[in-house]
Amino acid sequence: MSIITKGRRNSDDDTELNMIPIMNIFLVIIPFLLTSVSFFHIKVISTSVPVMADSMHESLKPKKMKLTVIVEMRQADMRLSTTAENLDPQELEQFEQLFKLQAAGMYPLMELNEYLQSIKSTYPESDTLILIPDETVIYESIIQAMDAARNFNDSPLFPNVVLSGSLG
Amino acid sequence: MALGHMRPRAKKFVPPKLMITSMMDMFTIILIFLLFQFSEKPETIHMMEEIELPTSSAKMDHTETIQLVLTQNSLQINDDLVAQVKKGNVVGLDPQNPKASVLYQRLQEQFAQTVKNSDEKQPKEHILLLCDKRHSFKTINKIVKIAALAGYPNFQFAVLKE
Repeated sequence: MSIITKGRRNSDDDTELNMIPIMNIFLVIIPFLLTSVSFFHIKVISTSVPVMADSMHESLKPKKMKLTVIVEMRQADMRLSTTAENLDPQELEQFEQLFKLQAAGMYPLMELNEYLQSIKSTYPESDTLILIPDETVIYESIIQAMDAARNFNDSPLFPNVVLSGSLG
Repeated sequence: MALGHMRPRAKKFVPPKLMITSMMDMFTIILIFLLFQFSEKPETIHMMEEIELPTSSAKMDHTETIQLVLTQNSLQINDDLVAQVKKGNVVGLDPQNPKASVLYQRLQEQFAQTVKNSDEKQPKEHILLLCDKRHSFKTINKIVKIAALAGYPNFQFAVLKE
């Protein structure tokens, strides 16, 4: 065996990666990440309750064809109606819809979402939905209804959801 | 050979070698997991065991606001107990006389303080409501109405990301 070959084999055997500095870096990064980790991600849904508004400011704005959708979450069904300043009551009546509860007592939110999409495509400027749940409706169902009303996939439908109690 | 002539053979000391490779593997897995869970803004909300938040597709982060927590047993503002909740009813909260409730008084104090500090007639602060998903709208509505009466008509409903 030549001397050159022997020398090359020795250098191959000695090549070993020094892991200690990498380990040191890991030991620094891991505690840092542990302090910044969050195991549950809290997000929020913005909403408001009806309040007395200053009508002077509203009248100065240019009028756009907007519908305000009203969704009543009742014990047996969901009733959808609309209101608008520039439309006749007869025109608004055509949007009225009743969604029966599903067999498992769940609200038909997919149907609601599809119907809201059709309203949005007709009146794209519309952005407000008033949600009126019955007193017995649980918070989880309200949040689900808000989700169905706010967006379809990633496109917004009615992002301004106003939560209101029923009158009477 | 006689046994007495045998010299005890001294064992050659072999320095223990740490198995760095397996440790590296372990640390790499931990590092990747933590990187996925990393949040620029770690949650500072004190979550209690008795609260179950609903899940939602919402993507908005909460802002620094007044925190109202409604669990199955209590109502709290910024970690201070305001009222007990029994069978879905907030104790000491009369819908006929909402201004007499502790909740209204506390929110009113907060509102006055904010107005004093910001010189705004209507502060644009939200109330961050952490509410148990099993509560009925009857309970929530009372609290929401009182908050609106105290000057906070805008809310952020806390939900868990889907």
